[in-house]
Amino acid sequence: MTGMAKSDSGAAAQAAARPSPARAEVRRFLRSAVPFLLVGAAIYGALYAASERLIGRYALRNRFHMVKTAPRTGYDCVILGASHAVVLDNRDMNARLEEITGQTILNLATVGGGITVNRLLLEYFLDEHRTGSVVYVLDSFPFYSREWNEERLLDRKLFLRAPWDPTLAARLLRNQAAWPVAADYITGFSKINNPDRFEPDTHVQEGPRFERVYRPVEQIDRQRIAYLYPEGTSEASGADSAYFAEFEKLIRDVLSRGIQFIVVRPPIPERVYRMIPNERQFDVTIKRMLEHAGVELHDFSSAGNEEQFFFDSDHLNRDGVLNFFEHHLRAVLKPDRPEE
Amino acid sequence: MLFNSFSFLGFFAVLAVACYSVSHRFRWALLLAASLYFYAAFQPRYLILLLGAALATYVAGRLIERLGDDSRRRAVFTAGVAAVLGSLLVFKYYDFAASTLDELFASAGAGSQLPLFPRLDLAVAVGLSFFTFSCVSYLADVRAERLPAERHFGHFALYVSFFPKLLAGPIERAGPFLPQLVRPVVFNAAGVTAGLQQMLWGLFKKVVVADRLAAFVDAAYAQPAFSSPADLVLGTYFFAFQLYCDFSGYSDMAIGASKVLGIDLMENFRRPYLSASVPEFWSKRWHLSLAGWFRDYLYIPMGGSRCSRLRRHFNVMAVFLVSGLWHGANWTFVVWGCLNGLYQVFSLVTRRARARIGGLADRVSLPSGGRELAGVLVTFHLVLVTWVFFRAESLTDAVTILSRVTASAAELPRLLLVRIANGEILFSFALIAVLLLWEVIDERRPVWDSLTASSVYVRWAVYYALLVCLVVLGTWSQREFVYMQF
Repeated sequence: MTGMAKSDSGAAAQAAARPSPARAEVRRFLRSAVPFLLVGAAIYGALYAASERLIGRYALRNRFHMVKTAPRTGYDCVILGASHAVVLDNRDMNARLEEITGQTILNLATVGGGITVNRLLLEYFLDEHRTGSVVYVLDSFPFYSREWNEERLLDRKLFLRAPWDPTLAARLLRNQAAWPVAADYITGFSKINNPDRFEPDTHVQEGPRFERVYRPVEQIDRQRIAYLYPEGTSEASGADSAYFAEFEKLIRDVLSRGIQFIVVRPPIPERVYRMIPNERQFDVTIKRMLEHAGVELHDFSSAGNEEQFFFDSDHLNRDGVLNFFEHHLRAVLKPDRPEE
Repeated sequence: MLFNSFSFLGFFAVLAVACYSVSHRFRWALLLAASLYFYAAFQPRYLILLLGAALATYVAGRLIERLGDDSRRRAVFTAGVAAVLGSLLVFKYYDFAASTLDELFASAGAGSQLPLFPRLDLAVAVGLSFFTFSCVSYLADVRAERLPAERHFGHFALYVSFFPKLLAGPIERAGPFLPQLVRPVVFNAAGVTAGLQQMLWGLFKKVVVADRLAAFVDAAYAQPAFSSPADLVLGTYFFAFQLYCDFSGYSDMAIGASKVLGIDLMENFRRPYLSASVPEFWSKRWHLSLAGWFRDYLYIPMGGSRCSRLRRHFNVMAVFLVSGLWHGANWTFVVWGCLNGLYQVFSLVTRRARARIGGLADRVSLPSGGRELAGVLVTFHLVLVTWVFFRAESLTDAVTILSRVTASAAELPRLLLVRIANGEILFSFALIAVLLLWEVIDERRPVWDSLTASSVYVRWAVYYALLVCLVVLGTWSQREFVYMQF
């Protein structure tokens, strides 16, 4: 009896020790799934490495790439802003500006880049570099919309040519709003998936258009303004105070590092200026804010803004940029040298 | 949360693990909650419509089963169908009918008081056409006593809202679906692997082929009057494959995802562009769940083929007309349906003559492969003409496309040769060639079956090739599936 009980309990123990058929099936599945995933991860790693090599070969204008591969650790000046500042770096323009001013300059302006994007770029730059001054080429449109700030920061195109850098990854992870793009950047998915992987990343504005002189068409100008001020900015609506606060904070942070902060308003055709909603009010507000912060404002919005200096509604062409360098920006960057 | 998004893939992975972790008793609740969450990710406010349709159908089904009197059963059935289809009519067709009536009145000289019928401007609930058809088929089956009414509302709500099939089908019948919810599901590695294979292939068709072709098609069809005839021709060919890869890709992902969760859904596509005749295309290969639905719940109740020849032709035309309207409230879909109906009627009328020609071909021993290929090519091009109406924004656009292409027919070969010499277009053709090659092989023996039987190296090589294509060549712009708009 005791023996039978013993053998029964032994069989029960054996049965309990034996995995159920379902569990055995799961184990069998995992036994092939895990090596499959490991090999897959290795292939993905190889693709990642290949995409990084392509970035090394074809990236030219991506601002994160420029910071990562900057030949110097120290610059005299860093330029920030949106597309109106990007044209100052078209083709050989930055070299010309360096020649004119005798300063080392890195242009980190980004098309459609508002304060949020510029702040990230500057902080990333300052992680491993230094500069004597920051020139912020200021437009009003980023102060009105998330599209040019938080949403632009989440635009994966910004990071398509950004080389892998743990410093940048850490910066993105520290900003909760940037987590989706941080995941994309860290996994490198968009870089591997980039359909233009074999094309240099020159901006469309650097093409033949840059030489052109624009003949104003009111409808095109209006479309451009509607694009820049997408939320139907009207006389009644003001700029978002949050972006003023963010800009003020950026200035404070830069000044606290002992870096000079200079704000420049770029030339803009008179007729376009008149179309911009609320622009005079914006000018008054920003002037007051900069005075309060003790920052210089150089307003060139109505200087060097003749029609022949633009290749479209509001972007300087080659002659316009050179004219701007020669007659205006040089004096800002080299104030000790009298203007010629 | 589209199937071609990372959020879906993450959601699905978590759900699949949870599904095999919870007790069988709660599996339906988990799947129902996941389905409602999935639907809410698109249009949370229309959850009420989805659940309302499920509740109305459930109650009507129970009543139909309980009532003994046939006239009462018919009344409840009619009321249930009207309640379910009513929402479809209001959301999808009311504005179309109102604008058509306004135009009619305007042409009759009542222009000053327009619009006579106020517009509702309601956004169509995604998947509305699909889940309402599921409800109607259930009621018809219960009424015909082909199916007992479901007692468990949770199970029934899951049948209506099951997320893989919710947005664009397959229009699954309750008969095969509901018993699967009662049956305990144990993890089956072969079934899960087969489901994942089908999902992978579906995702490849959508992300690598369909969405790549879509960019070209959109550009060609945006303003047909300004697109070159070569672009219109290429755009139409590409659309045929875009639509197929988009819709069958969705179906494959739906069926595969469902299979991973232990539920089988019906097949929806069977290599349609290998059809040797238009009737074969519609009855055996393209959108089988919808074709079967129309056959069982419209064509056969109308008399089907057991009636006079004239009546049969009328039935065919009526089914295709309704099928066109089901796709969308637009005259382009009406013409698309009529054109397909005409093909079917023509095929019926000429059946004997074609059989005689076939007999003659046998006598002069024409190779059957050649005849089959000719049939496939003719069928494909007949279908291609109907896709012009399916894709065009308006009838005017469709007519513009067809007239511009025919007007430049003599020049087309030269224009096409010039246009095709473009890397992106050549690559698109290469993808189509790969797809067709896969389908031809699959027609003889299912490719996945062959792969499952082959060595692990071959199998994994194919998986990795598809995955690398997805990562490197995929268009991950989260473009909606075409059939989601229906």
